[in-house]
Amino acid sequence: MATGQPIPPLLHRLDQAERIVTAVAFGVMVLAIFADVLAREFTGVGLHWARQAGVYANVIVVMLGLGLASSSGSHLRPRFADSWLPASWEPALVRIAESLTALFFLAFAAFGFRITASAFVLEERSVLIGVLVWPIMAAIPLAFAIAALRHAAFAFNPTWRPPEVSAIAGNEASNEGSKTE
Amino acid sequence: MTTLALIALLVLLLLLRQPLLVLLGTALVWVYATAGSDHPSFILLDGWHALNRDVLLSIPLFILSGQIMAQGAMAKRLVRFVGALTGPIPGGMAIATVLACALFAAISGSSTVTLLAVGSVMYPALLSAGYSRSFALGALCAAGTLGIIVPPSIPLILYGVMTRVSITDLFIAGIGPALVLTALLSSYAVVRNWDRRGGSWDGKEIVESLREGIWSLLMPVIILGGIYSGHFTATESAAVAVVYALIVEMLIHRELDGKRVFEVVGETTRLLGSLFPVLMLAVSLNVFLTYEEIPQQVVAWFTEQFETPEGFLLTGNLFLLLVGTVMDIGSAVLILAPMLAPVAAAQGIDAVHFGIVMIVNLEIGYLTPPFGLNLIVAMGAFKEDFGTICRAVVPFLLIMLVGLAAVTLVPAISLFLLG
Repeated sequence: MATGQPIPPLLHRLDQAERIVTAVAFGVMVLAIFADVLAREFTGVGLHWARQAGVYANVIVVMLGLGLASSSGSHLRPRFADSWLPASWEPALVRIAESLTALFFLAFAAFGFRITASAFVLEERSVLIGVLVWPIMAAIPLAFAIAALRHAAFAFNPTWRPPEVSAIAGNEASNEGSKTE
Repeated sequence: MTTLALIALLVLLLLLRQPLLVLLGTALVWVYATAGSDHPSFILLDGWHALNRDVLLSIPLFILSGQIMAQGAMAKRLVRFVGALTGPIPGGMAIATVLACALFAAISGSSTVTLLAVGSVMYPALLSAGYSRSFALGALCAAGTLGIIVPPSIPLILYGVMTRVSITDLFIAGIGPALVLTALLSSYAVVRNWDRRGGSWDGKEIVESLREGIWSLLMPVIILGGIYSGHFTATESAAVAVVYALIVEMLIHRELDGKRVFEVVGETTRLLGSLFPVLMLAVSLNVFLTYEEIPQQVVAWFTEQFETPEGFLLTGNLFLLLVGTVMDIGSAVLILAPMLAPVAAAQGIDAVHFGIVMIVNLEIGYLTPPFGLNLIVAMGAFKEDFGTICRAVVPFLLIMLVGLAAVTLVPAISLFLLG
């Protein structure tokens, strides 16, 4: 089945927005930790907020990265059972697989919304820097919801799906037929 | 009965091509539902607490620094330098291949990128110098796996995160096994290519190639030197590595512009987006299992089965080698490390040593058919058929197994730098 056809403008804009936000968050993460090191080296005192700022930036990066993993077909997936079902089932399988993934992400978006709402109601704050945690936590349900939307779109039109690529813990490459991708 | 139903459900999801994230999440929802404990949203609360730890920052930062450094012509510079050093030695170009892979891996932190980058330079060079196709393929595939154990290694960080073992200690412990494996592969290169040597040492070429490659070569020195001297934690050294990589690639070598940096950050984020949500759920599963005292039961069962630590290590090695043939290293570490590490501890095995043993086992999985990642990458990169590559790696696989045996049976190889 053909994949990687041009995606609808909404998904494309989502992709662009995620790239920009994650790039900014990555910059914050690097600068915060590096500034902490510099401050400690030159003044003997680190920046007390730096680690927590880096951690929150990382949450934004990795959760929005979930969407980028979906849009690039990079989710880790065990492939060894791929040939166990008849090849003729492929078109139906793709739609079922994408629908199931969308449902899963939707359920986890709901779980994420629940814990974020709880943090909002309780006005939970970071112990180290005192900021409210729910705006950062909101990245979790948001990321799952966007991922659900993407996979629902892929189920609706499988040609929008990206070709699957590898994304293994820091050891990346194209891996046709690899153990996971 | 419930366990069987869960296994059946997971097999069904596997057949329906669901990502690991879905498999893990479904298993978690299932166990929460059947245990009748908290609402499943607690899965993500545990996941949130897992993400809210600064130790995890080293993963995105090391991946990013490796990706940045791997963009330019670093492989060519490293190959030129080690080639100048090893040229006159028997099998010099083959040794240069192994050393270039080890150095590149220390900088990029990635096995497959190492294989592709060094391979693109060395594979044609080895063939034109008269080395056999089989040897060239095997050497590149095997030396390419050094990225798994040479610090900074992402699987080592994952092991540290999942088992709460010091990542700094794991990095330092990885140096010895990396040296042993590099020495074994280099020795084999010498023995098999005793008749091949190229001229005498050229001091001018050595100095010139060092001058060209010095900025890349300094990267592991800064990372490991900073950690070992106590100047940086692993996380801090990762941030320093990113800034250093940006300076080297953008200002010194001028091989990277702002647009490309943006793209590299996007590629890194994609990798993280596939890894971290799985890590969140793996931690959450670990929390649940601990709450239900499952690890204690596993430890008790294993303790009954094995009377000696050696017996456990031997069985554990066989199990991990098997796992490595069908599962990628990141997933295997996230899922198995929290289960096996307590068993190892109960057997009196040092947690750092066991982490290294586990990673070396899974590293070998990169060379084992049918799903060995380096075999598959080599097939695409060098346009060779799978059977040829599998046969080419056999001697190297045996050498890696010798290395594994040494690392397993002699803990000092891993622990000597830790005192």
